[in-house]
Amino acid sequence: MVSSKTMKISGRKWVGAGCMAMILFLSACGSNNTADTANSGSAATTAPSAAATTAPSEPKTVTDSMGHKVTVPANPQRVLGSYLEDQLVTLGVTPVAQWSVANGIQDYLSAELKDVPTISYDLPLEAVTSFAPDFIIVGSESSVQNGLYDQLNKVAPTYVLGNEINKNWRKGLTTIGELLGKSAEAEQAIKNYDQKAAEAKGKLTGAVGSQSAAVLWLVQKNFFLVDETQASGSVLYTDLGMTPPNLVTEIPADQKAAWNPVSLEKLSELTADHIFLVNSDKAEGSEILNSAIWKGIPAVKAGHVYELSSTGSWLYSGANANGKTIDDVLKLLVK
Amino acid sequence: MTASKDHHPGSTTALPAQPVRSHPAAAVLIMIFGLAAIIFGLALSVSVGAADIKLATVWEAVFHFNPELQQHQVIWELRFPRSLASVLVGACFAVAGAMMQGMTRNPLADSGLLGLNAGATTALALAFAFAPSLSYTYIMLYCFIGAGVAALIVFGIGSLSRKGLTPIRLTLAGAAVSALLLAISQGVAIFFHLSQDLAFWLAGGVAGTSWGQLQYMAPLILAGLVAAIMMARSITLLSLGTEVAAGLGQKTRLVQTGGMLVVVVLAGTAVSAVGPIGFVGLIVPHVTRYLVGIDYRWIIPCSAVLGSLLLVFADIAARMLNAPYETPIGALISMIGVPFFIYLASRRKGAIS
Amino acid sequence: MSKYSLTPYEKRQPHWGVTLLSVLGLLIVVIVVVSMNTGYMRLSPSEVLHTLSGQGTPQQKLILFDFRLPRIVISLLVGAGFAVSGCILQSLSRNPLAEPATLGISAGAGFAVILFISFVPASSAASIFMLPLLALAGAGLTAALIYVLAFRREEGLSPTRLVLIGIAVAAGINAFQLVLALRLDPENYQFVAIWMAGKIWGGDWRFVQALLPWILILVPFSIYKARVLNVLNLGDQTSTGLGAPVERERLLLLATAVALAGACVSVSGGIGFVGLIGPHLARRLVGPRHQILLPACALIGGLLLLTADTLGRWILQPSEIPAGVVVAIIGAPYFLYLLAKSRA
Repeated sequence: MVSSKTMKISGRKWVGAGCMAMILFLSACGSNNTADTANSGSAATTAPSAAATTAPSEPKTVTDSMGHKVTVPANPQRVLGSYLEDQLVTLGVTPVAQWSVANGIQDYLSAELKDVPTISYDLPLEAVTSFAPDFIIVGSESSVQNGLYDQLNKVAPTYVLGNEINKNWRKGLTTIGELLGKSAEAEQAIKNYDQKAAEAKGKLTGAVGSQSAAVLWLVQKNFFLVDETQASGSVLYTDLGMTPPNLVTEIPADQKAAWNPVSLEKLSELTADHIFLVNSDKAEGSEILNSAIWKGIPAVKAGHVYELSSTGSWLYSGANANGKTIDDVLKLLVK
Repeated sequence: MTASKDHHPGSTTALPAQPVRSHPAAAVLIMIFGLAAIIFGLALSVSVGAADIKLATVWEAVFHFNPELQQHQVIWELRFPRSLASVLVGACFAVAGAMMQGMTRNPLADSGLLGLNAGATTALALAFAFAPSLSYTYIMLYCFIGAGVAALIVFGIGSLSRKGLTPIRLTLAGAAVSALLLAISQGVAIFFHLSQDLAFWLAGGVAGTSWGQLQYMAPLILAGLVAAIMMARSITLLSLGTEVAAGLGQKTRLVQTGGMLVVVVLAGTAVSAVGPIGFVGLIVPHVTRYLVGIDYRWIIPCSAVLGSLLLVFADIAARMLNAPYETPIGALISMIGVPFFIYLASRRKGAIS
Repeated sequence: MSKYSLTPYEKRQPHWGVTLLSVLGLLIVVIVVVSMNTGYMRLSPSEVLHTLSGQGTPQQKLILFDFRLPRIVISLLVGAGFAVSGCILQSLSRNPLAEPATLGISAGAGFAVILFISFVPASSAASIFMLPLLALAGAGLTAALIYVLAFRREEGLSPTRLVLIGIAVAAGINAFQLVLALRLDPENYQFVAIWMAGKIWGGDWRFVQALLPWILILVPFSIYKARVLNVLNLGDQTSTGLGAPVERERLLLLATAVALAGACVSVSGGIGFVGLIGPHLARRLVGPRHQILLPACALIGGLLLLTADTLGRWILQPSEIPAGVVVAIIGAPYFLYLLAKSRA
């Protein structure tokens, strides 16, 4: 008898251990890549936080920037939007995977995307499949050239925003909001941002008037100047009303890029009152910052150079990134 | 590159064994006028650039330097070093090319054949990927090491045979090592998302050369040039064929090894400072040989002068073509170089192969 | 040519060639099986079998039939095409370094792609064949330009000059390319960089369909011309003496090599080393007779590229290394080893 009791107990133990093993196994699969179980993990992850919104109950068919007819699932649960994480986070959507390169992620979002696994920037197909997305959003047409679109579309419906929309984060946010049935959130986020910007503008004008400022990015011993309408440029010049300096306004229209190369020689003529320096060269690497010419630039002479970490938000666009950029500006210029 | 036009030791297709033709008068003229032109080029080079500085200010900066004035600083800290760098680097590539052509007896050889460019590029890609906070001076050093290691492998494998370093083996080894290293740098660049940074560096040219860098480059380059001129006689003998040279009592292996070392120092320094600038090492020795004959005692110094001249003016053009942006100087020289090269190649008789 | 081959082929048993081809075929089958089981998503061999027999989950089917298999087939075809093209070029020019890349064909194709990307926004849903077709056109135009520059009425087409001018034109194209590339936005630049490094694009059965006819026609055609190649390889004097209409045959074979390489480049981008090392390896194994050399090239080329692509998918997963990079990284040291061993 005794033995049968122990048998029972040990039997139960075994079941328990088996359950534990199953759970471990399943949870491993949820975050991992075993083909047959990855799609079953969908329910466990990402119940979107703002379920209150009017989510459309029907799948809808839309046309993306490249002319593809895309059927957006009724209520996408596992969204993949590589390099669109700012927008997704703003809408309260946690993507199934986040953009990465071998030596980094978008650091300024690391708090928001803490538990989100990474996916290589070039979207290897099997890696995409392993996350079992039910909806994929791609920012730029050029990242899905040469048939990659068709391949991605086999994994899940894929929508290409296109450069036209993608380079303006408001448009991007609105579009993604519509796609995911979160238009209200998108609108609200833009409203919040504009309010924040207006307040900041008020404080800033009080502190420094409409002085001019330049954003310089130093990478591999080359300087780049931000365009007026891009990333931190749009924040400074459009949203916060600072004046773009001579070198920014002098860029010929047909040569404009988001970040424009500028030689140190040209930089010697920069008249900006303030310089925000995003330094990717770090450490003693920045010999260039010790040169007499750099030190002779009026803003540098006056001590109005603010060095920003290259892991910050200044190189990015989006409600989130721009909001953080505004915080930085206020911290640095409004005492 | 072109194995079919190497001359096998002892083959009769080599240069005819007549007394060495040379035109010392032409060489002396080149040296005098070339040096004068270089000085003029230097003057022009410090006078033009992205920043709008009046000529009077330029002269004032040169003779009455006032560190408080930004424009004076531009002249001293930017334009002077870059102009001097273009002079030095031009001489390097041209002399290295001349020595390669003489030693391998391949009229289309240049220092790229030794895998120097690929070695420097790979070292750069690795440095960008794994040690992004290195100072520029260290990056230069790594590139130099990369170039040297690549050349060592190529030279080592090329000279493993009993007959010594044959041009064909050198070419094969150089091509294979270059392909390997370029693949590695491509792989690293793609994996770490660095391709465009790398391209910017490769296209960088002499812009951004600092006095600090010159301070390291100049002694090496000057030593290399002096060594090259001292070896000129041996190179001339070698250019008649290893067997001829050996027959005249030359220790060919020693000369080859020494010559390669000089090439590595010259071209390696140049590549690590300004990136691979093709065609200088190819074209300049050709033009020089056409003008001064086949004696390397004249070819080497004249190549140095003409190479400097070419680079000084190419650098001026690179600044002015699309100001205030820089046009990649390598691309610029290729655009002159390619038609010239095609002209050279099509002059060759098909039968030579 | 034979004077350049790294280790002279020694006489072996009469059936050596056939045996070797069968061994190569078998090896390919093995690597295909391995490749089907390799990738970020783990599919066990039994799952692969299941899926092959039509019973897998939709996801497994997607992975196997839509991602892995087309890629395997494309690797084999592209590898074979490049190797055969390289072999023809080496024999024609009697230059051991001739290959599609040295003749500026890859550069031309790459330039067409980069031009398109620089000046045409990728907004319209252009057909997926747009880039491959452009690449093919670029390759063809470059080859034609090189031919025109290298041809001289009194001497015909000198192989040496062909290679020299190929190198020059490639250098010129690279210069333009650099200028253009620096102006591309990073996204596009990355695409071009990967394209130039040579990657078997995820693969799509439509690419297989597009590539297959070229390989199926041109590779057998070149084998059919094996005797001519044998003669041309001996040198001009010999071949004219033997009465082969040198110029016409050479042009025809050159066109074949260009078409093969162009078709392959258009699908895979600039994969370089296969065309160089494939023929060298093949020659070492089966000797200089093109009747057996060309089929060996095709098999070795396919095997090499498939192995490279499989490795590239596996080494740094989930990231992928372009197959062109892997080929060079494994091929070049082997090539150097051969070179070091041959003491001639």
